[in-house]
Amino acid sequence: MAKTRVVWLSAVIALFLPIGGLFSRALAGTPGGAEEIMRRSALVQFYSGNDMRAKVTMRLLSKEGGERVRELIMTRRNVKAGGDQKYFILFRQPADVRDMTFLVWKYPQRDSDRWLYIPAIKLVKRIAANDKRSSFVGSDFSYEDVSGRAAEEDNHTLLREEKYEGKELFVVKSIPKDEKSADFGYKVSWIDKGNFVLWKEEYYDKRGALFKVFTADEVKPIQGFPTTVKRTMKNVQTGHWSEAAYGEVKYNLGLADGVFSERSLRNPPKELAR
Amino acid sequence: MKCFAAVALLGGLSLCTCPQALALSVHGFLEGAAGARLTDSPTQPKDATLGEGRLQVELSQEGPADSRLFFKADLVGDGVEERGDADLREFYLDVSPAQVLDIRAGRQILTWGTGDLVFINDLFPKDFVSFFIGRSLEYLKVGSDAVKLSLYPGPFSLDLVAVPHFTPSEIPKGERLSFFNPFTNRIAVPGESLSMRKPAATPENTELALRLYRTFGSYEGALYGFRGFFKEPVGMDPAGGTLFYPGLSVYGTSVQGPLLGGVAGFEFGYYDSREDRPGRNPLIENPSLRYLVGYERELRTDFTVRAQYYLEQMLEYGAYKASLPPGAPEKKEVRHLLFLRLTRLLRYQTVELSFVGFYGPSDEDGMVNPQASCKITDRMSVALGANVFFGNEESTQFGQLEKDDNLYLRLRTNY
Repeated sequence: MAKTRVVWLSAVIALFLPIGGLFSRALAGTPGGAEEIMRRSALVQFYSGNDMRAKVTMRLLSKEGGERVRELIMTRRNVKAGGDQKYFILFRQPADVRDMTFLVWKYPQRDSDRWLYIPAIKLVKRIAANDKRSSFVGSDFSYEDVSGRAAEEDNHTLLREEKYEGKELFVVKSIPKDEKSADFGYKVSWIDKGNFVLWKEEYYDKRGALFKVFTADEVKPIQGFPTTVKRTMKNVQTGHWSEAAYGEVKYNLGLADGVFSERSLRNPPKELAR
Repeated sequence: MKCFAAVALLGGLSLCTCPQALALSVHGFLEGAAGARLTDSPTQPKDATLGEGRLQVELSQEGPADSRLFFKADLVGDGVEERGDADLREFYLDVSPAQVLDIRAGRQILTWGTGDLVFINDLFPKDFVSFFIGRSLEYLKVGSDAVKLSLYPGPFSLDLVAVPHFTPSEIPKGERLSFFNPFTNRIAVPGESLSMRKPAATPENTELALRLYRTFGSYEGALYGFRGFFKEPVGMDPAGGTLFYPGLSVYGTSVQGPLLGGVAGFEFGYYDSREDRPGRNPLIENPSLRYLVGYERELRTDFTVRAQYYLEQMLEYGAYKASLPPGAPEKKEVRHLLFLRLTRLLRYQTVELSFVGFYGPSDEDGMVNPQASCKITDRMSVALGANVFFGNEESTQFGQLEKDDNLYLRLRTNY
């Protein structure tokens, strides 16, 4: 049974790979192609499956050798592919945030709604956080790096296509349409021509100096979705970097919209907690 | 009694060694806290406001069918009061007998509403002494012995709380912080204490609280109801020389949602002081209307500002004024309170600088609480702060604490 599925899956993949390649070549040639590449890449990074859950372990490392660890269970559900999403995060470590929960209703076109539950005082707090650039749990990843930035927010140009470690890549430069909407002046993304995985991203500050570098360190297919299970964000100006490992990744859990609610913040159901 | 419960629970848990035992988690912290007066107080002989070691133990045992037993207690060695104590903070059982129903029974911390350190429809007990002497924020909340039913029938959610055993708020009583004695109309001298009479623990005195809430897109709306007692002793019984907690019913509402890149909230409550509805008894708090408007916004990355405006309007003010005995301090009809909180996070959110300020233009009193805290490692944190009070009149909320300014330091290790 399992074997037939593997054969069947490989057949499907074999069939689609060349078509994907053809399609991507076609994309590169068309005007607006760069934006389409970024849109598809965002779908792969942040919208795979109807929903997804992962155990995320982050190591925050300083140049001086300091290390802090963050462990959390992150669940997301797409309300609409490429559109609204709901996120639920349960913190496991460190001890001072253990059992805290965090709920985000994300809208690409406007500020997210965010709630934080603080178990020590049993308080659900509505958070005013319109700043998507804020650091996520004190790491080098911003909220936007974790939950995605809408392709429509930037102007994109295809700089070139290149080969890197045996992969065929698009290299796209993106400049924010609204300068104030981002902490970078521009960014350059290396995107896989075959499956639109983001392999690398360089962020340049407003003076044009490189300050942050994202790398996908390990990507593997899970339930048919290419999944970045290890990633690093390094701040090259401070020497601080963060590594995130996504473990126990599962897609299409069949979560109901209603579990992304205040009830779950106070009392996380099992499907969000393990 | 508290110790006995703790030992019984620990014993019970350790006996449960069956192979399919559901997860038991054990956590807690060790904390040392010290605080000292910044000015000499004529009524407080001790310089220390805070000096304690605290061991917190938190046990959580999962049971069958989504049930959970939760226990949290502190062992405290208190250098200021020169005694040891066990404080059962929380001890409750969670069960979900139906898909749309959660029940929590036991000692639990309850809170709701939209305010930050200002409470209208949250009529659960608070420990203001802990807050004013610089204990960590979690000690502002005091557990209630209660049963809470949470119903989720679909379009809205409903919390129903029954508190059979009245727990008052902790207010300054002269032990560490000064208090204004309303019988003598001055700050109490050392050794002077006031007796407070709690409502009798009878079935008809069971407190009931209700919250009906739902979201409308990004906006949240709630209706509240409460029938119980004031949590602060705002009733005076001159015959017995005691203060008491008069009967109170509250009807309120709140809305909260995004506004101009931040979050805005509005809360209202009608306080029905059941024992003095006509307002003719100056010894019992009058009925009142209470309003709170709050706005919070992240002005720039890792810098958040919150501002609140609170207004309390005494009803039947004419009757109150007419009945006031000569010489007694006269309350104003309208009391305003402004609140500001600034929070700045630095160094990958491991350092937090915060400022909390209250100012009451009507009572001309207030307080400020600057604090710097740092997570030295993932397990260890330190906080240094001060509480500074000011006011022209000894009878006002912050004015009575004018000589209680203090500096505090806390060091905590989690395990």
